[in-house]
Amino acid sequence: MPGTRAGRGGYIGYYIEYRYIEEGAMVTRRRAGRPPEAYLPLPPATFHILLALADGELHGYAIMKGVAARSEGTVRLGPGTLYGSLKRLLEAGLVEEGDERAAPERGDERRRYYRLTHLGLSVVRAEARRLDAMVRAARRKKLIGVRPA
Amino acid sequence: MSAERIYRLLLRAYPPDFRSEYGREMVLLFRDQCRESDVRTLGFWAAVIWDVACSAPALRAEAWHTRGRLSTRTMGVIMKLAAMLTVLVGVLGILNAGVEWGAGVTGTIGGMHALSLVLGVFASGLLLAAGVAVLRPTQQGRQAARLALIASLVLIVAARLLFPWMSIFSQLVGIGLPVALLIALYWPRKHSTPSWGSTP
Repeated sequence: MPGTRAGRGGYIGYYIEYRYIEEGAMVTRRRAGRPPEAYLPLPPATFHILLALADGELHGYAIMKGVAARSEGTVRLGPGTLYGSLKRLLEAGLVEEGDERAAPERGDERRRYYRLTHLGLSVVRAEARRLDAMVRAARRKKLIGVRPA
Repeated sequence: MSAERIYRLLLRAYPPDFRSEYGREMVLLFRDQCRESDVRTLGFWAAVIWDVACSAPALRAEAWHTRGRLSTRTMGVIMKLAAMLTVLVGVLGILNAGVEWGAGVTGTIGGMHALSLVLGVFASGLLLAAGVAVLRPTQQGRQAARLALIASLVLIVAARLLFPWMSIFSQLVGIGLPVALLIALYWPRKHSTPSWGSTP
């Protein structure tokens, strides 16, 4: 109710503050309604992290190991790259934090777990489709999938 | 010095907010890496430093941009104050021109002087309208404010050229205020596009 805050900054002041907050909320709504394709293309590290999380909830070290194994050692994420990417993915709403608990295989300190959101799953699917289309195009041009003469 | 202590020092390259949020997790992950690798090799430390060098500057830049976005509210408050000041200057400009016209009626007032006073009144009226328009932060309001400020600036400069009746203070306010407001209104606004930073 605008009138209730009239005493502090005046009605006009509150009105302006309200409009600026409303603009911010509109930006958030626009971001929330963005289609998965708007997030593409994903950097390889980000795609690998989302791919690793498609298996379920994982902590940082498990993501790192999963990425290294899946990429056959071609993508190696350091702590800075991994947590930098996770921070961006959390902010974009593609990943969410799970419970903090000790990893059963390591049995030491409590670790933060991460999991895909519905949006994150849609985005990783869209990126996989995009990459698949590119591979099919390369195959049609016989750049891959044919034995060298 | 232990490997972990060196890594804690390297963590200082990251923004404080990021460090406080993920620093502990990063140290845990580094500890895991230390368990599975030989920390005495050059290759291990080259990979660690490469990771910090690749990720820390991008996160610093992002933190800087985020601070810029947060200052949007501060900018809103500054614009509100500037708009109120513009309304006040517009009202004072009209009153001043009226007083001067009144003084001129009793004495002699030249044609150029009279014309510059009329232009001054119009310029002040436009400043007043621009101030009111800025107080309505809609796209139409901003556009109306821009047009009013440009017109006011043209009229003030014309009045100043026709007859140098303005004091230095009035010239600074009459020209400086519309210019400052126009810069603020034409300043590019940030768009929210998905950014993945410079991750490999």
